[in-house]
Amino acid sequence: MDEVTVDVLIIGAGPVGLYGAYYAGFRGMSVAVIDSLPEVGGQLAALYPEKNIYDVAGFPAVRGQALVDALLEQAQQSKPTFLLEQRATTIEIHDEGVTVGAVASTPGDPGVTVHAKAVLVAGGMGTFEPKELPAGGDFAGRGLRYFVPRLADLAGHDVVVVGGGDSAVDWALALEPLANSVALVHRRDAFRAHEKSVAQLQESSVELVTPFEVVEVHGGDAVERITLEHVESKEQHQRDVKTVVAAIGFLTDLGPMAEWGMDLKRRRILVDRTQKTNLPRVFAAGDIAMYEGKVALISVGFGEAATAINHIAPLVNTKWKTTPGHSSDAL
Amino acid sequence: MAYVVTDACIDVQDKSCIEECPVDCIYTGPRMMYINPEECVDCGRCEPACPTVSIYHEEDLPADREQFAAINETVFITLGIGSPGGARKIPPLAADHEEVASWTK
Repeated sequence: MDEVTVDVLIIGAGPVGLYGAYYAGFRGMSVAVIDSLPEVGGQLAALYPEKNIYDVAGFPAVRGQALVDALLEQAQQSKPTFLLEQRATTIEIHDEGVTVGAVASTPGDPGVTVHAKAVLVAGGMGTFEPKELPAGGDFAGRGLRYFVPRLADLAGHDVVVVGGGDSAVDWALALEPLANSVALVHRRDAFRAHEKSVAQLQESSVELVTPFEVVEVHGGDAVERITLEHVESKEQHQRDVKTVVAAIGFLTDLGPMAEWGMDLKRRRILVDRTQKTNLPRVFAAGDIAMYEGKVALISVGFGEAATAINHIAPLVNTKWKTTPGHSSDAL
Repeated sequence: MAYVVTDACIDVQDKSCIEECPVDCIYTGPRMMYINPEECVDCGRCEPACPTVSIYHEEDLPADREQFAAINETVFITLGIGSPGGARKIPPLAADHEEVASWTK
């Protein structure tokens, strides 16, 4: 298992975590950022990459992914160690620091142990897990999948995509040129995806199977066939298929962090005015942090990250003060 | 604070909101969906997903729909459900809030 030693560990590579990483470097700390997703950007990159954001100071409007790219560029100045596809699972707090153990999402990867003087939890809504297809049985990984990291894996397959939102529509469109056939199954006639994608869908060769639900998946070692049921008439028919891609939304979960002993309220971590949790050397910022009067906005999260890192400074080096002076004087 | 389902959902129950909700806090009643205010995290994804425009943030409820904040809240108390931590963990609600049950459209 890899060992990493840094001054501060940030859990979550979303906008607040990235800004916290930049700011930790600005205060002279070494920093590592851990996230269970394969890419940085958190909710912005996973859910709203094409949406404009209107509450970031200095930007009248900024596209989600553009903001992530700029935050990453800014964070790189602090030379952070990025630990992606790693889920923070255990914590031990000692007199001098904190040890966090992480489990990798890729099989065969042994995970990582991080030794830090303090931890900043910027975990947003928690980890994202795809919602399971209710009729999916135990076919996950055997023809039933929730992500398509390499489109080429499905070249020549007969594919059924399930869902009505952006990810279902985007996957159907992306697979159409290389799959043998693509059908999109949704339980209503209208799709919730971006207008432009829906227009593309209607011009494509993707077969729209609506309003239908997948009620059963059949096969031996792998998916061979599914049963589809009309939502109103309840009429059923079967369809031969090799791959089912279910894109019916995500569930978030605090996961193992919920067991760390932090005081929680409605899945948020309670913090004081310095962003400190009830655990020594553990701070929280962004959507995951909760206090009286909290307003969950990205601009507030940035401020919370700066507050937390400044209050972490004396824990990293007893000679360091909380107040950094003005950044314009420091550079 | 939480999002609130209102009467436009009654007898429609499109359920697109359920697919969007990242914390599974939207419960199915016989005639209407209900958002559990103890579990809602205010992310706002359900609001634009609803084709009947029945979901509002508690603070944005139209004046003639303000009673629905209490309706969404009390149904979980009167049915003794509380906060099970996700709609998938329990069967659909056995009954509607009495005002919803007797609602005439």
